[in-house]
Amino acid sequence: MAINPGYFVRETWSSFRRNWVMSLVAVSIIYVSLLLVGAFFLASSTLDTLMTSVEQKVTIQVFIKDGVDPADLTTMQTDIQAMPNVAKITYVTKEEALARFKEQTKNSPALVEQLRGNPLPASIEVALIDTRQVQSVVDLIVKDPTLAKVVKTPDNPLANDIRYGQEVVANLFRFTGMVRVVAAGFLVLLLGVSLVLIGNTIRLAIYSRRREIGIMRLVGASNWFIRTPFLLEGVLQSLIGSVLAILTLLVVQAFLVPWLQRTLSFLQQVLTVPDATMLQMMALLIISGVVVGVLGSGTAVRRYLKV
Amino acid sequence: MISMKNVSKVYVADKPPALSDVDCEIAQGEFVFIVGHSGSGKSTFIRLLLRELLPTAGSITVAGQDVVHMKNSKIPFLRRNIGCVFQDFKLLPNKTSYENIAYALEVIGKSRHVIATQVPEVLRLVGLEEKTDSYPDELSGGEQQRVSIARAFVNRPPLLLADEPTGNLDPATSLGIMSLLNRINKTGTTVLVATHDREMVDSMRKRVIALENGKIIRDQSRGVYGYGD
Repeated sequence: MAINPGYFVRETWSSFRRNWVMSLVAVSIIYVSLLLVGAFFLASSTLDTLMTSVEQKVTIQVFIKDGVDPADLTTMQTDIQAMPNVAKITYVTKEEALARFKEQTKNSPALVEQLRGNPLPASIEVALIDTRQVQSVVDLIVKDPTLAKVVKTPDNPLANDIRYGQEVVANLFRFTGMVRVVAAGFLVLLLGVSLVLIGNTIRLAIYSRRREIGIMRLVGASNWFIRTPFLLEGVLQSLIGSVLAILTLLVVQAFLVPWLQRTLSFLQQVLTVPDATMLQMMALLIISGVVVGVLGSGTAVRRYLKV
Repeated sequence: MISMKNVSKVYVADKPPALSDVDCEIAQGEFVFIVGHSGSGKSTFIRLLLRELLPTAGSITVAGQDVVHMKNSKIPFLRRNIGCVFQDFKLLPNKTSYENIAYALEVIGKSRHVIATQVPEVLRLVGLEEKTDSYPDELSGGEQQRVSIARAFVNRPPLLLADEPTGNLDPATSLGIMSLLNRINKTGTTVLVATHDREMVDSMRKRVIALENGKIIRDQSRGVYGYGD
């Protein structure tokens, strides 16, 4: 059939202009919903970065008693290095420990002046690959036969000799895990509600034109011929809405985030939204917008196409 | 052109049928009135031919096509062979006369060149050359109905269905519409008019099929409206 493809472009554009009030309503609802989804996505991914940076701080420290046999120390280090999930071990000598302490307390030099000699023990610091598995690594270290030879209280090493934030670590992971689940749940909920809202708005716009669809059917227009301009219009509306939402978020990102970083300088690194996250956000908004545009207008037209 | 065999249509199971056991044959080029009171089954008759409805029983053939066993995707092609005129005109309010008629050609994929020659021609046929760029709300009822007839006929379909085409019009205007339909019939198009306009039917002396409670009670050539009331 000699269908002029220009027809669809003309028809889509002219109906977009003719029904501009309904189009405006649809575009603004799409815009606001996707803006919310995008903002929440960025916020929760920032929160995730923040939590990850806290989690990364979880390490295991094994304190070594003074005057230990260097051979035992080496065995201990080799054993820990060989354990699963261990990323890196660092041996911190007594001198280094003192230097660190001085650095941390440089604002109150009186504390250091009172020290006689060096009371701080040397230690092995264990960085982990997956910090959630900290407990299993600790268990392995406790069972290690060499441990008894290098620590002060071999009967109960967990009391003083091994530190990994026992008191907080379990709660920390429970908390971050919960926050992640809640955030993901909210994102899904928000996305779902937006999709329903957008789909409904598009359907309303089509409902207001059911008469036109009826006449098209009457004069023998084929179903795809009737549907195509509506689909294109739905996609056009969704694209405009999602691009506006993305632009808004980019502007916010460009002005608000530097201001926040100046104001809350301790969050400097965490608050920087990586480009990859921005791209994911854009893809999320455009894809969900277009999918909803197609589905919403497709199902709405289908209702009036039934014979 | 049209053939119905033992056609029944039941809308609600316990209620009396809208059409029951209707048999009729309408040949190419005929002009036929379907008459009857409201609720006698006239509109159901028309809608069955358009495949807006499926019959509960029986077989229907329109322009050589089996309407009952037709695939949904073929329905648009059936409708391209049937022009339709309604009591409420069904014009698009935001298109001019020209655009309303052109629309019927656009949606079946005719080129702009064909549209530019056929639309003025059919506007001349219905006598509305001067109203080419008027919108429906700037036209009288009779003029709107002529635009809708022009839209139904622009594609030169072999069959034209009219459901109460003069229902909203005064007698003089109705006469104009009927003579226009008659003129279209003279070009060889089969015309089927459902109406309860007694004067019109009596003055035209065409074939009349009378329906009552969903049954054909009378089918006569050169007939009158009938009914004693």
